[in-house]
Amino acid sequence: MQNLYIAPTSSTPEVNFQFDRHQLSLRGESYPENAHAFFGPIMQAINAYLPTLQSTQVTLDVQLAYFNSSSTKVLLELFGLFNDAAVAGNYVTLNWHYIEDDETILEFGQEVADDFTALDFNPCSLVE
Amino acid sequence: MSLTDFHRFKELARQENVVFYYTGYFSQSIVTAMGDSLRLRLASLDASQTARRKLFSVFVEMAQNVVHYSADHLSASAAADHEIRMGSLWVGEADGQFYVVCANPISAEGVEHIRAKLEPLRTMTNDEIKARYKEKLRAEGEAGSKGAGLGFLTVARDSSNPIEFDFVEETDGKPFTTFYLKATI
Repeated sequence: MQNLYIAPTSSTPEVNFQFDRHQLSLRGESYPENAHAFFGPIMQAINAYLPTLQSTQVTLDVQLAYFNSSSTKVLLELFGLFNDAAVAGNYVTLNWHYIEDDETILEFGQEVADDFTALDFNPCSLVE
Repeated sequence: MSLTDFHRFKELARQENVVFYYTGYFSQSIVTAMGDSLRLRLASLDASQTARRKLFSVFVEMAQNVVHYSADHLSASAAADHEIRMGSLWVGEADGQFYVVCANPISAEGVEHIRAKLEPLRTMTNDEIKARYKEKLRAEGEAGSKGAGLGFLTVARDSSNPIEFDFVEETDGKPFTTFYLKATI
């Protein structure tokens, strides 16, 4: 399936999903006017990609310096889809990059890890 | 307004340590531009990284509330994209702490709805706010909410003092009430 690349803007992250290499990344900031509209096509691509996997190792790198409340909700849904894929027999590593003293982002990552235990959650501290 | 009045206005803002003030129509591109400007200003001020991030978070949630919910709109009222709505937003510093104040017109029916949402947040501890936030994050979306329904909880979570709010009736005959929300970081 086709890889997905969306260039970053001030209020939306860079989306770089290399489905052929099973390496997906989100980087930057996320506070679009309408999070559902921005993430809709991304969710669709993920929904098309995940059922094609079989005992596959997928790496998801998330390095978001800031995301607003509606993006937070969509991210939780997105990680739920990856957790389902891991329960279905794949291996999903979530590299959760956060700035060392940013409690909010680390705490949200830990909640994701608590909710979705099938994910291999890997917190990665960035020193600013 | 005479230029002398403008000067008084500017001087008052300076004396009160207003970092930033905008009134007018808000759209997402204005929110983004204000966000960029706010970050530049904050970079030159003496604030911790944590305070800057929380301030930015509160700013975005409040400014996007204006874009989505202000009762005075240029875009179609049912629009989900490219909304343009009226409001005001201040960022300032007082007693060594930053604050954000947002004001926008709401309908008379909105008053009790907002009061019922905000009043409990004033007496909750930070842990209680975080617990409510977690619960709400996993709940189904609320009818009428264009975002995640988490905006006020995010503002309360990122404030170091209880949030303050007020409703002021318009005196110019317009059928709106102005809703004020203040958070201190």
